[in-house]
Amino acid sequence: MLALAGAWELYRWIWTTTGWGWPFTVDNTSMPHLWTIFKAFGQPTQVNQPTLISILFHKSLFTGKEALVGFAVGAVVGFTIGVVLAHSRLLQRGFLPYIVASQTIPILAIAPMVVVWVNPKLPTGLQGWGAVAVIASYLTFFPVAINTLRGMRSADPRALELMRTYAASPWTVLWKLRVPSSLPYVFAALKLAATASVVGAIIGELPSGLQDGLGGAIINFNQYYSFEPQELWATNVVAAALGIVFFLAVVGAEKIIVRRAPENVA
Amino acid sequence: MKRVREWAPALVVFVAVIGAWQGAIAVFHIQQFLLPKPSDIIKAFWTERHTLWPAGWYTFKEALGGFAIGSALGVVFATVVARFRSVGTAIMPIAIAANAVPIIAFAPIAGAWFGEVSPHSKMAIAAVLCFLPVTVNTLRGLQSANPRQIELMRSYAASEITIWRRVRVPTALPFLFTALKVASVLAMIGAIVGEYFGGAFNALGVLINSDAQIFDFVTAWAGILVASLLGLALYGAVVGTERLVVRWAPDTRE
Repeated sequence: MLALAGAWELYRWIWTTTGWGWPFTVDNTSMPHLWTIFKAFGQPTQVNQPTLISILFHKSLFTGKEALVGFAVGAVVGFTIGVVLAHSRLLQRGFLPYIVASQTIPILAIAPMVVVWVNPKLPTGLQGWGAVAVIASYLTFFPVAINTLRGMRSADPRALELMRTYAASPWTVLWKLRVPSSLPYVFAALKLAATASVVGAIIGELPSGLQDGLGGAIINFNQYYSFEPQELWATNVVAAALGIVFFLAVVGAEKIIVRRAPENVA
Repeated sequence: MKRVREWAPALVVFVAVIGAWQGAIAVFHIQQFLLPKPSDIIKAFWTERHTLWPAGWYTFKEALGGFAIGSALGVVFATVVARFRSVGTAIMPIAIAANAVPIIAFAPIAGAWFGEVSPHSKMAIAAVLCFLPVTVNTLRGLQSANPRQIELMRSYAASEITIWRRVRVPTALPFLFTALKVASVLAMIGAIVGEYFGGAFNALGVLINSDAQIFDFVTAWAGILVASLLGLALYGAVVGTERLVVRWAPDTRE
């Protein structure tokens, strides 16, 4: 961290003193001093307004809520799809190409449609942010589905045979063997999904016009970038922190649940 | 014949879904602006082809440039890091943490750095998006070479370079291609999201966005179709290269 901060200030210093314009001109707008960014946290954005950090904290709670709901829904849907596809080669052949193709759809492009489409159908408590959670879950389900499928197939064939000789029911095989052996794969996917859900929540907010979250803040501060670049930077620092918190939460859950896992299955 | 049987279920699902989509709109009278008919989208896809495809090509070039720059930097970086073990152990946690950062949030800053309208800012975003997964996976691949194979090579007095060429790089390639597949999709998304914060008027992301704002969802969907097709083309190109390059790996057909 310190090395990175040092590199930032050093880069700034070299480029400003030599006046190099490549790859971009460095000045207080394009690369504000780190202390300017961190000072911005403690200052109000406008007179008689709360400080930036408290505004951003509430916005990140809002975005975090969208991401969390999207993550939960996406993970459950993805896991279910993975389990179902693992049991039928026919369904796999029928649906897997589209599950892969679904991820090449640029999500930001369909976000406005999703918002228009989903919002009216939601109860009032979910209005607005519910549609964003749908977008977050759309980004979440894919890695989980693919890795669950891979994990289900990774069950030891000898153990499968043993289960069969005991006349174990398909449910028992699923819960006692396939699910445990797929867990390391599932968690590798959940780590990706944790970040993806935050990304989904932020880009879902961009076209939906919601002002309560980090995505709204990014649009808002982007318009004032030439006057107050540190506010956009500060918002991005908070967004980065939110992504890392989500990631670490999954890592923590993995440590608790998967005690004995082979390393590096991602 | 075997190929036909392999693809038949996918075709059946495709026809069924499109049929259900078209049918549901007719039966439930869903309004045009909520979900247009597939036939209308195809029609717009055809009538607007002179605006959509050049725009798609423009955006595709941004994505391709970002993909090439980001992946190349990722491979070079991972190779350097893998060469010096202590650097690798210091960098790895930072790389993983950086991977958890929603890079998209930095799109407006890339716009401020490289010009809001210029294609370079989109390339930069796409490059950063591609860089991290490629770095992490290449590094993991380079480090996952079987130590016994390396010892065997050493006992044959093979030089470091030979070990790299014969053992480390071949084991790393499947990992690299997994990352490149992810990166190919991310590059296209990165370019389109970057265009949301300003781009040339003839860029696909700008086009989709302005169509959606004037509730011309049919054209917007046609634009999305173009974007997806181009994304798939890039993904397919990576898969094709993988099949050519990685012949020895048994399980690359995921």
